Amino acid sequence: MSDADPISAADAARIRLVAALSGVARQDRAALRQVYEMTSAKLFGICLRISSDRGAAEDILQDVYIKVWNRAGRFDADRASPITWLCAIARNTAIDWQRASGRVAVAPEEAAYAVADDRIRADQGIEQDQQTARIHHCLGELEERQGAAIRAAFFDGLTYADIAARMDVPLGTMKSWVRRGLQRLKGCLGDD
Amino acid sequence: MTETPQLPPEDMPEDRSSLAAELALGVLTGAEKAAALRLQLADPAFAEEVTAWDKRLAPLYLDFAEQAPPPETWRGISARLDGPAVDTSGLIRRLQAWRTGALLSGALAASLAAMLLVRPSVAPPAPAPQVAPQMAVAQMVSPKADMMVVARYDAATAQLKLRADNMPQGELSPELWVIPADGKPRSLGFISPTGTTRMAVSPKMRIMLEDGVTLAITMEPPADTPHDSPSSAPVAAGKITVI
Repeated sequence: MSDADPISAADAARIRLVAALSGVARQDRAALRQVYEMTSAKLFGICLRISSDRGAAEDILQDVYIKVWNRAGRFDADRASPITWLCAIARNTAIDWQRASGRVAVAPEEAAYAVADDRIRADQGIEQDQQTARIHHCLGELEERQGAAIRAAFFDGLTYADIAARMDVPLGTMKSWVRRGLQRLKGCLGDD
Repeated sequence: MTETPQLPPEDMPEDRSSLAAELALGVLTGAEKAAALRLQLADPAFAEEVTAWDKRLAPLYLDFAEQAPPPETWRGISARLDGPAVDTSGLIRRLQAWRTGALLSGALAASLAAMLLVRPSVAPPAPAPQVAPQMAVAQMVSPKADMMVVARYDAATAQLKLRADNMPQGELSPELWVIPADGKPRSLGFISPTGTTRMAVSPKMRIMLEDGVTLAITMEPPADTPHDSPSSAPVAAGKITVI
């Protein structure tokens, strides 16, 4: 850990992002550019992972920032973290693209376990790291196949049918694995 | 507002928390996803559950590896912001066309514009790959949100299913209009002021049911066939979201 306080760095980044988003809500193009510079690598990573297609991911990323331009007025900093709000738009847009195009990532099941490099964590702060560690701990507590199915759904944007095909089990079995896994996950995260 | 009306039991897991989790995780497709999205729009308690699941899963976003996009991506975004198809300009153009079509008063277009400003569209311009939509949903609301019509279109059967809540009942009947890019409203027919209406959509109309297109309800004198144009201001309007 460096001398810089990582929580302050993360907080500062969040404050800058919230300020930039409020500029976007006022239709300030320079503010959108600022949001893009702060977040495009993260959001492009999401688009690329889910679409498994560089060209498509570039198109999806454009759609994402057009959505951000149109929706920034509805972002509520009291209710959501700005980066989570942006990541959710990117993931949902990429999933919509994947469903509309009828294409499914053909990565093997092991890809569901793949974890990003640590580089991205530098400016995320301790609190976020702890939350991520916690959900990984809870996913690890699940039956292995349940955890793998939930990871495949989240990181690759797969449908029930896709995951069932990938893991070679009947659709009904997959649904009950995922539902049971999600309920156990909720219990483990312990926020009821 | 009633809870989960008209949801087929087979589309609804008994446990709503499961459905909320599945929606947040993104595993639902087709009719199941449409039903869950409608429930999210109609039922604040369910919407809160979805939000809670979004929050639970959010720490996983940290695990997506960063990748710098190529510089031309920003240029593409910038060009699209300069272009005509962004934000509500398309809608305004359509409303102007509707108004200049001399079918309706300017007040009507203004009221529709106000309504849509009150209720911003859920869906911005459609993403690049265009395939025939399998399922589309729209929520038409009045300016005060005291009445609502939820529409679901299934391309596989070309059936439009509508559920009306709290529509005015009297001598006039609610008529459903689609307003495509040319701005001219076309009637899809009358709907029941209460409960569920199912209608078959003609091939000519099907192609108009695209993402971002406006659906509107006006109150019209009952007739055997759909009217050529609306005679009054819409009581509810909303945009189509293709899912």
